[in-house]
Amino acid sequence: MRVSLRAVAIILLCLGAAVTSTAQEGHPLKGSWIGVWQGNQAHGDSIVVILDWDGRAVSGIINPGTDNIDIASVDLDPEDWTVRIEASGEDAAGKRLNYVIDGEIQDLALPSRSIVGRWRHQDGSGSFEISRQ
Amino acid sequence: MFRLRVMGRTGGRFFAGAILVCSSAAALAHHAIVAKFDDSSTLRLEGVVTKVDWRNPHAHVFLNVESNQGTANWAIELESPIDLVANGWQSDSVQPGDALVIDGYRARDGSRQMWGETVVLAKTGRTVFNLDFAAPTLPLGERPTPRWPNGQPALGAVPGSAGGYWGFPSATALVENGVDVEISVDGLLSDLDDARRVAPMQSWARGLFEHRQSRQLRDDPLFLNCKPPGGPRQYESRHGVQFIEDRERERIFVLIGSGNRNYRIIFLDGREQAGQVGGDDDNPLYYGRSAGRWEGDTLVVDTRGFNEDFWMTNSGLPHTNQLVLTEKFSRPNLDTLQYEVTIDDPGAYTRPWTASWSLRWVGGEELPANFCQNNRP
Repeated sequence: MRVSLRAVAIILLCLGAAVTSTAQEGHPLKGSWIGVWQGNQAHGDSIVVILDWDGRAVSGIINPGTDNIDIASVDLDPEDWTVRIEASGEDAAGKRLNYVIDGEIQDLALPSRSIVGRWRHQDGSGSFEISRQ
Repeated sequence: MFRLRVMGRTGGRFFAGAILVCSSAAALAHHAIVAKFDDSSTLRLEGVVTKVDWRNPHAHVFLNVESNQGTANWAIELESPIDLVANGWQSDSVQPGDALVIDGYRARDGSRQMWGETVVLAKTGRTVFNLDFAAPTLPLGERPTPRWPNGQPALGAVPGSAGGYWGFPSATALVENGVDVEISVDGLLSDLDDARRVAPMQSWARGLFEHRQSRQLRDDPLFLNCKPPGGPRQYESRHGVQFIEDRERERIFVLIGSGNRNYRIIFLDGREQAGQVGGDDDNPLYYGRSAGRWEGDTLVVDTRGFNEDFWMTNSGLPHTNQLVLTEKFSRPNLDTLQYEVTIDDPGAYTRPWTASWSLRWVGGEELPANFCQNNRP
């Protein structure tokens, strides 16, 4: 399962490098994001995050189709463009892991903006960086 | 570059007087200029022309300037050749070897670039490349609204007339009616603290608006990528709009003079408003899907189905694909188009809000031949 996610992520990363990000002048979190959460033993280093905005809240999922980690909440502070994502998923043994990702939007004006920060759950932590595709 | 105090419309006669005050300045709206040049940092250069580059979107004159450090070549950016030609200037109005005195503004990045506000031939003292942005002189008496045989107002030219388009918008930055803020014709607020007053934005939208403002609107996708001036922006744009009314097919084509010179269709045939975002043959995405109906002498248009790939105002107000516009067009006399737009976007704003302004009839002319794609920086 994890191998296939990596393969998909690599393909998407290559595609992302080859094409310009889709313009997105609306809510800055909306879109598909690809990157890494370093040192994640449970779900691998590669990460895909899909975020949407309905006018009241940001919702989404991490690694759809493979890990299917549901995002419980997303908080965006437009004063400093910091982001907190809370999500919950299971590792291969079925243990529930509660993720907290704290980051900051960089290059806000660009369609290919990034979120850079750190991830953590009860068994680990590491750096985090995703870029909008 | 001008700064205007913009006050949202509060009275029916507001525009009658304001249009004359604002029209000359409004035509100067130009994001690229304020993003690139600092209008608070003036500069005078005296030198000799080495080259004239006569290309859209802006002409350039290159000037050799002598100083204690030797000779330096400066790039002087001027208005668009389209506007310069419309004011009688040609590429050879100034030639290599001419000595010039130029006043203007320094580039923000400190490079040897300057926005040329006034250009004077040193030999004769004659000002060149100056533009007259004044709207056409209004007739002494109000001219009646042109109408179709069924009595409906004509929003464009009627058959047999000399043609024309709408230009010289009385406002070039979207501000909620009744709100009084100082904002430049380019859409830049004088005081960033006023951002929260411009419109009832959600916090993320206000943060994004402030971010765009703080960067002097340099991220505007219209200038960076020639994205269309969708939504209300088409009516606050420099090169105006032209209405072509296809009575037989029950639709109005709105030809858009700015951006990349495309068009929008307002359907008057009673079709259902689907409002899909995905796009189809009658949904151009950047302009939404527009279904209109006449209410007396006012055309009321419901527009939805916008994508999120453009800025809907010169000032950079955000929107989402939940945006629905209710636009009202009326022509109280031949020379005036009243435009009112209600913005209902629960994705970006806390409540619906309304702004309104007017445009002036430019009779006997077609839209200026502006093409954003023609030459990007």
